[in-house]
Amino acid sequence: MFKHLFKLIWNKKKQNFLLMTEMLVSFMVLFAVFTLMVYYYDNYKKPMGFKYQDVWVININNSYQTKNTDSLDLYYETLRKIIKSLPQVKDLSFVSGNVPFSNQINQGGLTFKGKHIDHLNNFTAEDSYKETMDLDVLEGRWYNKSDAVSKYKLVVIDADLKEATFGKEQAVGKLLGNDDDKKKMKVIGVIQTIKRNGDYVKAGPGLYFRADTGSFRWLSKILVKVSPGADAAFEGKLYKTMAGYMKNSNIEIEHLTNKLKDTNYFAVIPMIVLSIVSCFLIINVALGLFGVLWYNINKRKGEIGLRRAIGATGNSVSSQLVMESMILATLSLIIGSFFAIQFPLLNVFDLSAHIYIIGMLLSIIFVYLLVLVCSLYPGRQAAAIYPAVALHEE
Amino acid sequence: MIRLQNIEKVYRTDTIETLALNSISLDIAKGEFLSIMGPSGCGKSTLLNIMGLLDAPSKGMIKIADKSTENLNDKQLAQFRNKTLGFIFQSYHLINDLQVLDNVELPLLYRDTTAKERKRLATEALEKVGLANRVKHFPTQLSGGQRQRVAIARAIVGRPDIILADEPTGNLDSAMGNEIMEILINLNRNEGTTIVMVTHDENMAQKTHRLVRLFDGSQVQ
Ligand SMILES: Nc1ncnc2c1ncn2[C@@H]1O[C@H](COP(=O)(O)OP(=O)(O)OP(=O)(O)O)[C@@H](O)[C@H]1O
Ligand SMILES: [Mg+2]
Repeated sequence: MFKHLFKLIWNKKKQNFLLMTEMLVSFMVLFAVFTLMVYYYDNYKKPMGFKYQDVWVININNSYQTKNTDSLDLYYETLRKIIKSLPQVKDLSFVSGNVPFSNQINQGGLTFKGKHIDHLNNFTAEDSYKETMDLDVLEGRWYNKSDAVSKYKLVVIDADLKEATFGKEQAVGKLLGNDDDKKKMKVIGVIQTIKRNGDYVKAGPGLYFRADTGSFRWLSKILVKVSPGADAAFEGKLYKTMAGYMKNSNIEIEHLTNKLKDTNYFAVIPMIVLSIVSCFLIINVALGLFGVLWYNINKRKGEIGLRRAIGATGNSVSSQLVMESMILATLSLIIGSFFAIQFPLLNVFDLSAHIYIIGMLLSIIFVYLLVLVCSLYPGRQAAAIYPAVALHEE
Repeated sequence: MIRLQNIEKVYRTDTIETLALNSISLDIAKGEFLSIMGPSGCGKSTLLNIMGLLDAPSKGMIKIADKSTENLNDKQLAQFRNKTLGFIFQSYHLINDLQVLDNVELPLLYRDTTAKERKRLATEALEKVGLANRVKHFPTQLSGGQRQRVAIARAIVGRPDIILADEPTGNLDSAMGNEIMEILINLNRNEGTTIVMVTHDENMAQKTHRLVRLFDGSQVQ
């Protein structure tokens, strides 16, 4: 029977071409949507890497101009004391501008043991960063005072970078650096990757350097951990205190909770738009499919009647029609999968292969279900036609 | 072979009720070649469809090959049609997207047969109707007479006991019609197949064993 259906489909390739194209297009659109969804979900599942609740970001533009490093340090250490003395401040840390959920980036690359790592984030942070952020240290430790007098240049890496460089092995104590650099950095700790691009978008690997004397020249932000009850009144007080000290400087206070919301929003919007567009498309395809199958059945009433007359049951007629659609779907899906598989093979968007594969499987299942649903009813309808009536109508 | 008792068929639509057959009783012997004549709309096709179990009568009883058919379910009916009956229609009812050989194999697809067996039987049937050299053609590439011969090959490929033909020569000129008639007569004579044929042509009817005339759903002769 299979061979028979193949012949029938093959001999009607012209009519079936349109139907197959429709199925192919819906597969490709679904593939895009599902891959994006799986990608988002994959990132969503991962831990945030720190506690963003009750962390505020203060943007300071460095109004204090001096060539003298000592007086620069003194100026900012005084600022630190002033802020820390406020009752609701638990901890604070001066950091480079690329804080979580901001669109500032500072990226570079690294070629380590022949492997090139792109989009590598470089962060500069202080010893107090760990407490302020409540970091999750996976291996080794975060920086402390003793690191000021180290022989090596030290580095803390995040889990993503560790995975890319050392794989499953221990990283602490190992040297890290570009293959052609003589002076390597020594890894002292591995922290959980911070989802700096929000819940849904991959953050990329990160390197954390310790802020040393003179870093204040370009540490343009302060992260402040406040106690849970800190409110707008306190925020005003914080602002006033700082403004009093930093004359004619722009100070801006933001909450990480809000910044996360905004960041997520920008990730979710394209997702929603894409979903709506694809929903319409799928509805269109479904109606088209349904219409074509319905039309087919009416056009093929003579054939249906004949098959009934020579020994087909109603059920076998209806399953034949459903099977024909499923074969068409299978052919389209084979072609579609061939295109889809190029994405992980050519590594088009730098996503890991399993995301594409799951996206592909989901779209295959969806297309099969769609075709099944769209052909079941016309198929059932065909089975219900009286053979005498069907034969009569040609 | 076929026994009809008080067959009545009423077509009901929302507004009208048509009495297509009115108390028809008919006994058709094994090996008989029977023709049915009558004006258009008198119920000939309806009667043939009921004999072919394609349609159920409103009243009455049908026995085919000594088997009562009223309590058969869809599957049993399909099997019965497949094994015992062969159909020939005025408009051939070939599947245009299948080659001649595949069209002829069709009834065997609904039986337990191998592809090889199907091919052998279909080729044999096509030889009987003189179309062995047209197996790879599509129906649209054939003349009307050739198409009807393909339909006959399809009807006989499963070696049914009974062939029901509804105006098999209705669309053909008299030369081609005679060819088809020849095939049917030989089939009846050589294989003992019982044939019931609806026709509008007196000459064709004269060549059969018995003629039944219908008028307005009733048997008049
Ligand atoms: N499906 C149907 N629904 C309603 N009425 C029908 C149906 N099929 C047939 N009829 C009616 O039943 C009567 C007999 O129809 P039938 O097709 O048996 O005639 P026929 O003798 O075969 O005519 P023809 O020589 O033109 O083929 C007609 O009056 C027709 O209108
Ligand atoms: Mg008729």
